[in-house]
Amino acid sequence: MRHRHPKWTAIAAAVTALTLTATACGADEPADSGGPVTLTMSAWSMKTTPEFAKLAEAFQAQNPDVKIEFKEYDAANYDTQLTADLAAGSAPDLYVLKNLKNFITYQAGEQLLDVSDVASGLGDGVNGLGNYKVDGVTYAVPYRQDSWYLYYNKDLFAAAGVTPPSEAWTWAEYEKAVADLAAGLKTAGSQAKAAYQHTWQSTVQGLALAQTPGADLDSGDYGYLAPYYERALKQQQAGAQVDYGTATTNTLQYQAQFGTQQAATMLMGSWYVATLIAQQKKGDAQPFQWGFAPAPQRDASSKDKPVTFGDPTGLGINAAIDEGKAAAAKKFLTFVAGEGGATALASIGITPATLTEPVTKAYFGVEGIPGDELSRFSFTTHDTRAENPVSPHTAALQNILQETHSAIMSGSTPVNEALAKAGERARNEVLESK
Amino acid sequence: MSTTTVGGPPGTGADRAKRWYRARRSLQGVSFVLPNFLGFGLLTLGPVVALFYVSFTNWNVFGKAKWIGLDNFTRLLGDSSFHRALLNTLYYSAFHIPLTLAVSLGLALLLNRKLRGVAFFRTAAFFPYITSIVAIAIAWNLLFSRDAGPINQVLGLFGVDDPPGWTASSDWAMPAVIIVGVWREMGYYMLLFLAGLQTVPPELHEAARIDGANAWQRFRNVTLPCLRPTTFFVTVMLTIGSFKVFDLILVMTNGGPGQSTLVLSQYIYQKGLVENRFGYASAISVVLFALCMAVTVVQFAVNRRRNA
Amino acid sequence: MAAPHTLPDLATPDLPPTAPDAPPGRRGGRLPAFGRVLGYAVLAVAAAGLLLPFFWMISSSLKTNSGVFSIPVTWLPDSPQWGNYAEIWRISDMLTWLKNTVFLSVVVTLLQLFTGSFAAYGFAKARFPGRNLLFLVYIGTIAVPWQAYMIPQFIMMSEVGLTNTPWSIIALQAFSAFGVFLMRQYYLTIPDELCEAARVDGLSEYGIYFRIMLPLSVPALASLALLTFVTTWNDYLGPLIYLRDPDLWTIQLGLKSFVSEYNAEHALIMTGSVLSVVPIAVVFLLGQKYFVQGIATSGLKG
Repeated sequence: MRHRHPKWTAIAAAVTALTLTATACGADEPADSGGPVTLTMSAWSMKTTPEFAKLAEAFQAQNPDVKIEFKEYDAANYDTQLTADLAAGSAPDLYVLKNLKNFITYQAGEQLLDVSDVASGLGDGVNGLGNYKVDGVTYAVPYRQDSWYLYYNKDLFAAAGVTPPSEAWTWAEYEKAVADLAAGLKTAGSQAKAAYQHTWQSTVQGLALAQTPGADLDSGDYGYLAPYYERALKQQQAGAQVDYGTATTNTLQYQAQFGTQQAATMLMGSWYVATLIAQQKKGDAQPFQWGFAPAPQRDASSKDKPVTFGDPTGLGINAAIDEGKAAAAKKFLTFVAGEGGATALASIGITPATLTEPVTKAYFGVEGIPGDELSRFSFTTHDTRAENPVSPHTAALQNILQETHSAIMSGSTPVNEALAKAGERARNEVLESK
Repeated sequence: MSTTTVGGPPGTGADRAKRWYRARRSLQGVSFVLPNFLGFGLLTLGPVVALFYVSFTNWNVFGKAKWIGLDNFTRLLGDSSFHRALLNTLYYSAFHIPLTLAVSLGLALLLNRKLRGVAFFRTAAFFPYITSIVAIAIAWNLLFSRDAGPINQVLGLFGVDDPPGWTASSDWAMPAVIIVGVWREMGYYMLLFLAGLQTVPPELHEAARIDGANAWQRFRNVTLPCLRPTTFFVTVMLTIGSFKVFDLILVMTNGGPGQSTLVLSQYIYQKGLVENRFGYASAISVVLFALCMAVTVVQFAVNRRRNA
Repeated sequence: MAAPHTLPDLATPDLPPTAPDAPPGRRGGRLPAFGRVLGYAVLAVAAAGLLLPFFWMISSSLKTNSGVFSIPVTWLPDSPQWGNYAEIWRISDMLTWLKNTVFLSVVVTLLQLFTGSFAAYGFAKARFPGRNLLFLVYIGTIAVPWQAYMIPQFIMMSEVGLTNTPWSIIALQAFSAFGVFLMRQYYLTIPDELCEAARVDGLSEYGIYFRIMLPLSVPALASLALLTFVTTWNDYLGPLIYLRDPDLWTIQLGLKSFVSEYNAEHALIMTGSVLSVVPIAVVFLLGQKYFVQGIATSGLKG
């Protein structure tokens, strides 16, 4: 403020100063090193999301001096609630970075402690760790790294007389299989569609970004999405999958679409494995044989290590943490990202960031997980790229691409026109504005 | 207590008494407003003033807010998404305000009578407002479904060959949202009109009837003028509510397809809570505020002229 | 919307000036039977249209979870899952949520009725410098979207330690500008002469408010009470930000806990939503007669 402002501005400034000064929360119990420490940690839907309690339990078994207490958040509005808490200085010591899109906000806002020492101790075996490195400093570690698979219903494949995938398909092979399935299911008198594509932008854009060489969100050039959109549109026009308008107006749920055998194949993240098993057990999903294969590839060259996408879920330490607790918090971070945490997570059907032999064993030891070769291959071998590469522009660009997605899939705007407009908007509204 | 002479005794003391009387009335007036103002000023006005300040900064929730003068506002001038959201908001309001006003007043007139079962109909009219908004969005989306939706089936019966795609079409999504908006809120405003209708003196109607005025004339010349404070209130609330429309659009179309139903409140939400650019979001809020106030002040002026 | 046939009677309120409680149905003879049947038919069709989404809610609450969204839509479930209505009480803290919601709604409504109507009297009938400007400020704050200033507000509330207590919601909702505006407009319709006469009779301003204004404004108070009650009952974003402890959750917040990361209990959400509407519907049915039971102001004019 260079010059004097009118009185009301001064008042406003005073009010703001009062309200915006986030005071670092003061008198927490001073924890002397070695004594019992209580760490608070964010979590959501604890009743249906066992991963948090599982991690804490496994950690406490090895470290009885450290107690983890959870602060529960809303699953859908996690970031809003957490942002408010951080701004008000009432956030927990450890908090989960639910997706990669908002990591940069917390990092740039200096809300995360430097945990480079934890990262260097972990080595290279942790998938997705590099995402949390900004200017050489690591601010969080991943504990789960989901990635996208092609789920398929073995019973429906058999009914349609189509050979199920035996290795990573190329998109051409996938398209042929979908066409065969559509015809085969019809002849077999089945109501099921060949595929279900959920309404999210990621079902098209995620793989396009991961698999296309040179594709870059920050470039403002979205031509790389075109073949993926044309394929999706072609399949819904052919009736091989439910069209976007029907899926949105009927609020279709992917769990019910695949789980009640409305579709023979579906691209979805690895989290769905545990959900489907639970639903089959509970009766929400029908009993049928299924498996998961790598997502279809651009060409055969990547078949040995299929390229797919998915954001890691990370854990960071609140920059305002009590100094005496930082050591214990880092110990916990080392545990969750390492083999110990990974095995605990795998034992409840979650795909952890560290995938060593014991972890894989624990994962396929879970009752109900398809143990066939292809499913094993899909779990252990993949090159998973981030859905939301870390950049200050990502959140804004994904907003634009989400609008582009609904414009294209609803048939409102032709593919090339919509993508050109998305690029123009990205350059105009986001990229050149900083 | 209030035995102070209203006219005041003649002579030198009169002016002083008058002033004393006025000061006392002012003080009493303030004492009425104060209990509410204490809560309102502290809890709402304070943060709102802070928002005005934030609109001149680049505040992103964390860290310090840096004063950047009018930068946020000059950026708005070139922001095509903002223009789109502004136009969509005006589109929505231009239809939603008069339609809701007409339908809710009609409903209130229809249900302002002793009629068997009227309590049921009043409750039914209010039901859309209390039904969970998520359920409303899902059910209306089903009704609007392009191929199998009941609405298009009815249109088909009337010979419409190429029925609109409603919420799945960029041309028809806004009309669909407007329809649901009117449907949802008419019961709410009906309630306010019902309360207002109780202030219309029945003997004025009787007198007009005796003078030979027909129903329309009685409505124009008796009901409407007596209803003016209520109409003013409803119009202002409806205007602000339409300019600020948010949750209905969020659950029904989420602004899509494309940007066809993107409105200002949603854009504010995107920029603020999704992208954490609260400085920019605050600047858009200030524009929205100015828009509402401009319309409200015009309504105030018109209302005052009519009353005069 | 209104059929022209019924219009002749539309403009006239049915309340005779002296006896607001005239027995219903007395004047039916004035409307030809045919018109009455037609009127009811129109109303019945309209009511069906109004209640359809609510019907969908009930129907979904009687389905299995995976049956809620299916193509084609089933409006009547084949085997109604009445068990959902028992299940929801068993697996969730519905009772706690209900208690919290009732507490918040009642306290907020009472406070809003009192502070709102009290301030409204000041704005409508008293005179003090800056009155109209202050009133415009009240309306102005309605025009600012809450999602834009909720974070500064949250920081402020957290400084005074109100977050994560029911008092935060009460403090935020009880002083809203809406109630002040609504009541002010109603008071404007009450003739100033009435107040003047009362002043001459020796009534203080407070006396006028309590003895004259309040009794006269029952319909407005009833609408304000109902609207405030419903708003607080159905509020989601406010409790989401301020009430974190599951013991403090309201129904709307609690129902969202059926939505977890990768799945949602849609049938139970709809069961809970139906249950949550019932109390409001009862309040409305009981209260609705007050909306039309004002004492005709003109009767007191002379």
